[in-house]
Amino acid sequence: MSVLLQARDLVRRYRMRRGIFGRAVELRAVDGLSLTLERGRTLGLVGESGCGKSTTGRLVLGLEAPDAGQVQVDGAPMPPIGGRAWRQQRARMQMVFQDPLGALDRRLSIGAQVEEPLIIHGLPAGPARVAELLMEAGLRPDHAQRYPHELSGGQRQRAVLARALATAPELLVCDEPISALDVSIQAQVMNLLMELQARRGMAMLFISHDLRAVRQVSHRIAVMYLGRIVEEGEPDEVLKTPAHPYSRALVSAIPHPGRRGRRILLTGDPPNPADRPSGCAFHPRCAEAVARCRIEAPVLRPRPDGRLVACHLAHAPLLSQVA
Amino acid sequence: MSLVQIRGLAVSFAGQPALRGIDLDVAPGEALGLVGESGCGKSVTWLAALGLLPGKARVTGSVRLGGMELLGAKAETLEQVRGGRIAMIFQDPASSLNPVHRIGRQITEALSLHQGLSGAPARAEAKRLLDAVGMPDAQRRLDAFPHELSGGQNQRVMIAIALAGRPEVLVADEPTTALDVTIQAQILDLLQGLRREMGMALVLITHDLGVVSETCERVAVMYAGRIVEEAASGQIFAHPAHPYTQGLLGALPPLDGERRPLMAIPGGVPEPWAMPPGCAFAPRCPHARTACLQAVPELADLHISHRAACILAADAPVLA
Repeated sequence: MSVLLQARDLVRRYRMRRGIFGRAVELRAVDGLSLTLERGRTLGLVGESGCGKSTTGRLVLGLEAPDAGQVQVDGAPMPPIGGRAWRQQRARMQMVFQDPLGALDRRLSIGAQVEEPLIIHGLPAGPARVAELLMEAGLRPDHAQRYPHELSGGQRQRAVLARALATAPELLVCDEPISALDVSIQAQVMNLLMELQARRGMAMLFISHDLRAVRQVSHRIAVMYLGRIVEEGEPDEVLKTPAHPYSRALVSAIPHPGRRGRRILLTGDPPNPADRPSGCAFHPRCAEAVARCRIEAPVLRPRPDGRLVACHLAHAPLLSQVA
Repeated sequence: MSLVQIRGLAVSFAGQPALRGIDLDVAPGEALGLVGESGCGKSVTWLAALGLLPGKARVTGSVRLGGMELLGAKAETLEQVRGGRIAMIFQDPASSLNPVHRIGRQITEALSLHQGLSGAPARAEAKRLLDAVGMPDAQRRLDAFPHELSGGQNQRVMIAIALAGRPEVLVADEPTTALDVTIQAQILDLLQGLRREMGMALVLITHDLGVVSETCERVAVMYAGRIVEEAASGQIFAHPAHPYTQGLLGALPPLDGERRPLMAIPGGVPEPWAMPPGCAFAPRCPHARTACLQAVPELADLHISHRAACILAADAPVLA
């Protein structure tokens, strides 16, 4: 296991204004987030809409610059956006989006789109190489002549993958790559991602709201809530014994054939990132919150078993100090 | 005695069949799940039943509510049925609500249509409905616009409007697909509670087998415009008989156990203009034989209240 990419204390703020004369409000989409991506392994990032998972993906890829914190690839800091070094770096890390039709150009044939990154980065191109890439993604060489509207949803996502693989990336960031697909096709794409990783040994950041899918493809998972990671650990352990109250609610919300017992129902909606609650951002929805949770934001730190948790109550020794 | 009785319902758009003859019953107060992938006809079934399809759609067959035929019924009759006896809610609450009217007005509109209420009594009833669907701070929310509410809250408003006519059947078309998982859990819990309290039947249309397993007593699985399997919820998850249902369950990533490649169903759903002559699932089916390619299998009884449209399932003994 070697570290490919390390992100430390990333912060990304956006300014937005309510109405024309409204005061500008600062929205912290990502608020002090650290993560490590290892070669050949997948980190699954789970969370609900607006928790900052997609922004995290863009920061990690260097598509956006963080307002604070740093992303290091192979120990070297991310070069400034738009520069020559940054463009070279882009070939090493690729992204797969949720909506394959939106990610493809409707007026270009699949073959032309898969070949484009090869030409841009000065790599050996040509029909033979394109055919090879298409086959690797589970398409036929003759799909190169087709246009996006002629393919099914699953085939389009395969075409997007073939294009992402063209530059032999070391990191693939997949942002909800299966959410727009039917159940039977989701399984095909998940299988393909795992096959590709086994063959090419690339690192993956798999962003999804679907815990089932994340468990299926990931070696580690991180649960995000309002711009921060609240829990990180081995997928099976997090699913079996979630330590953060929010992870517990997420796990219990997974609809499951033959479930016994009642699920934990959270009250209220996910909070607005522009209006972050004081202390622990989860405390207004947390059934276990104590006075301290309203005042002091918990830090993500390891428990004795190695699980990282950001909750005052999950770290037992501390709890006794408080009491 | 079923409340809704659908027989041989078929729909085609410009000569392309979307629904190829389905039979379905809904009993009073029951929770029925209708499961399938996009384009299988699960939504079209109910849009056709309620006369909500565009004029170019050709609809044949029969849909009876109580003893009344709905297909080809007069516009006034359908207007009373829609919202009054059968209400429907959709996937995206934000696009079902009118963005320029306050929530209260949209609920009272339904109340005046179906219960003849107006003025202060209508407003009081609207507040009661918002309370019933678990809207926090209902009194103040009556004056809110849809954009001021979250997705989950808007879906609660849609459910409140659907309840305004005190329907006997609530058809919920992917009601939680656009919502976050924790909010999905809230809405499913709400629908289940309301069904029990009001004694109405719930038809849950979804692509998510997990959602159905927890909410519904009976499940019908649809593929390419036909029902391919129908059984009690517990039975279908424990002993799926149709290879498509087996495939759907196999494609669902497990929550525990060893991680191995998923049993993905190869290929994709056939296009309406290139439907195979026999069983529509045969080209993707791991067990397909020559006979499967020749004739469309009938939905046959395998066991008490378990039916499947597969010639192999009919041969194989079904475990009870």
